[in-house]
Amino acid sequence: MATASLVLSDDSTLSRLDRGLLRLEVRLALLSGLAVFALMILAVFSVGGRNILQSPLPGYVDWIEQAMPLIAFMGISYVMREGGHIRMDILVGQLRGRALYVVEMITTMAVLVLMLLLLWGSWEHFVRSFDFNAPMWSSDSSMDIGLPIWPAKLLVPVAFAVLCLRLCLQIWGFGRAAVTGQAIGVPLIADAAQQAAMEAEQLGGHD
Amino acid sequence: MEPIEIGLWVTGGLLVFVLLGMRVAFAAGLAGLIGLVWIFWSKKGYAPDDFGWALTVAAKTAGQVPHSKISSQALSLIPTFILIGYLAYYAGLTKALFEAAKRWFAWVPGGLAVSTVFATAGFAAVSGASVATSAVFARIAIPEMLKIGYNKQFAAGVVAAGGTLASLIPPSAILVIYAIIVEQDVGKLLLAGFVPGAFSALIYGIIIVGLALSIPNFGPRVTGFTWKERFASLPPALPIIFVVVTIICFVYNPFGGDAWGTPTEGGAIGAFVVFLMAVYKGMRWSELRDALIETAKLSVMIFTIIWGVLIYVRFLGFANLPSAFSDWITSLSYSPWMILVCILLAYAVLGMFMDAIGMLLLTLPVVYPAVMALNGGEFVTAADSTFGMSGPMCAIWFGILVVKMAEFCLITPPIGLNCFVVAGVRDDLTVQDVFKGVTPFFIADAVTIALLVAFPQIVLWLPSLA
Repeated sequence: MATASLVLSDDSTLSRLDRGLLRLEVRLALLSGLAVFALMILAVFSVGGRNILQSPLPGYVDWIEQAMPLIAFMGISYVMREGGHIRMDILVGQLRGRALYVVEMITTMAVLVLMLLLLWGSWEHFVRSFDFNAPMWSSDSSMDIGLPIWPAKLLVPVAFAVLCLRLCLQIWGFGRAAVTGQAIGVPLIADAAQQAAMEAEQLGGHD
Repeated sequence: MEPIEIGLWVTGGLLVFVLLGMRVAFAAGLAGLIGLVWIFWSKKGYAPDDFGWALTVAAKTAGQVPHSKISSQALSLIPTFILIGYLAYYAGLTKALFEAAKRWFAWVPGGLAVSTVFATAGFAAVSGASVATSAVFARIAIPEMLKIGYNKQFAAGVVAAGGTLASLIPPSAILVIYAIIVEQDVGKLLLAGFVPGAFSALIYGIIIVGLALSIPNFGPRVTGFTWKERFASLPPALPIIFVVVTIICFVYNPFGGDAWGTPTEGGAIGAFVVFLMAVYKGMRWSELRDALIETAKLSVMIFTIIWGVLIYVRFLGFANLPSAFSDWITSLSYSPWMILVCILLAYAVLGMFMDAIGMLLLTLPVVYPAVMALNGGEFVTAADSTFGMSGPMCAIWFGILVVKMAEFCLITPPIGLNCFVVAGVRDDLTVQDVFKGVTPFFIADAVTIALLVAFPQIVLWLPSLA
């Protein structure tokens, strides 16, 4: 299994695009993180309001349900870029060089097919709740305070679209690596020891 | 082809995807989507003209899973728990805990090692992540143990094993995930983890004291702390106690009456206190930003697996595979206890090669209904059941068992991740050293699991009060 990987860069077009997209991905991931923070503040207000001011925060659950897609999807492409989605690399980790890059390219293509289909499916899901003629353009709304649900539903295809861009770059990267033997802009498998060192690095100084 | 056959083929395909190194979340989603297309198309007799229709229906069915399944209040618990863990580093809670544990417990034989175990157990109360716990304590506790002459391998083993306590002691992200996948009460599962977690810590402690008493110069006592020093060490560690008490009170009110709120609110209040503490300790915006991005990363990773697996589960429902598997398991002529032990052993083997979250999410949709069927079904009463507990209680018990099993795998070769992390933090230790040092705890865990299987009351006592 791997939760952390290394991404190499150089001054090629691919690498520039990789870093360019990364800037967007980091912002989206931060948005995810800020949504978690907002969730925390919201709960503090909700509990405080209920117990101290005797007036519960209206629509607390509605707001949580709106925030969840922000948390769950916005960072998806960033995690893909960093190679952070869990996988089992005990077999593929035995491969080296071109054989490895070809296998990675094929599996990444399969993921791209899946994500394009889900992009379409989740867009359809959004379209069903969006109506230009309805109040707040919404044909459905949340249970308690009637928030429109389409913005939350729209986040899914948006995040998936960014992920599809990332997957295209990775297919390019693995394809190029299969030809040149040099992997740029794609996550490399870190062996367990390397990974542990990175993990330790990340926590450095915060103990 | 019958739906069940399609189910088996697609499940085989999923296995191939995972073995090829496809990310688990997408492997499950892809298998599920292919399965849906296949099933819908088979209903039309595989007419070429109908393939487009089958693809459209499958994409629409799968496409609504991510949003509809993720927008749930219960799932919001996961990011809050993760946030607490990341903020805890900045709040200086780890050092405070170790210092307090040292002053209170280091006087027993093997005292520093015992203190380390209790400090990791305490830290587990603000962190749901085993690996991070081991990494942090490798820096704090190992040097102190080496200074007074502990065996290097053993000191490393203590830290690697201590880290595993994080997944049972609340707040545990992995127990929340289990609860959501099997659709059981999150609060009760969190409560249920408390006693087995503390129990594991106690068994670790007993083993250390036993070793220290039987092997000369194994782990010298550390004495000389005054009561004043002991009490002075408590206030910096107090936020931990506060977080634990808050979360428990928000799940189950020990003073009678209703719980104070939802587990999510409890987690959020806990996170807020740790946040204030971190700000007080001088956390900067750049550090908060890092903590938020790390929280987002881990949350996104977990959520992606959840919706990916749920697409696969949607397909499994159409293929009727889980109920067929349950029927097969219950028709076996072996004793149900024997089958349960075999399932747990299978997890031990699987866990050697796979991450705990991925392993549980991939297998539970099929294995969990089978275990419930073995016990006599979802709604069975304790009197009529095989394992002597009601359906919901069996769900809690099995959850604790599989999570403990997954933790066990963090310290077993060949890829016990906690051991790699400890070796990674310390340049003077090889992974083999850590695996050697962790052996006593490995045996202790095997004993703990056997006890949890034989005496389910250890797990079920606390949640049965709620």
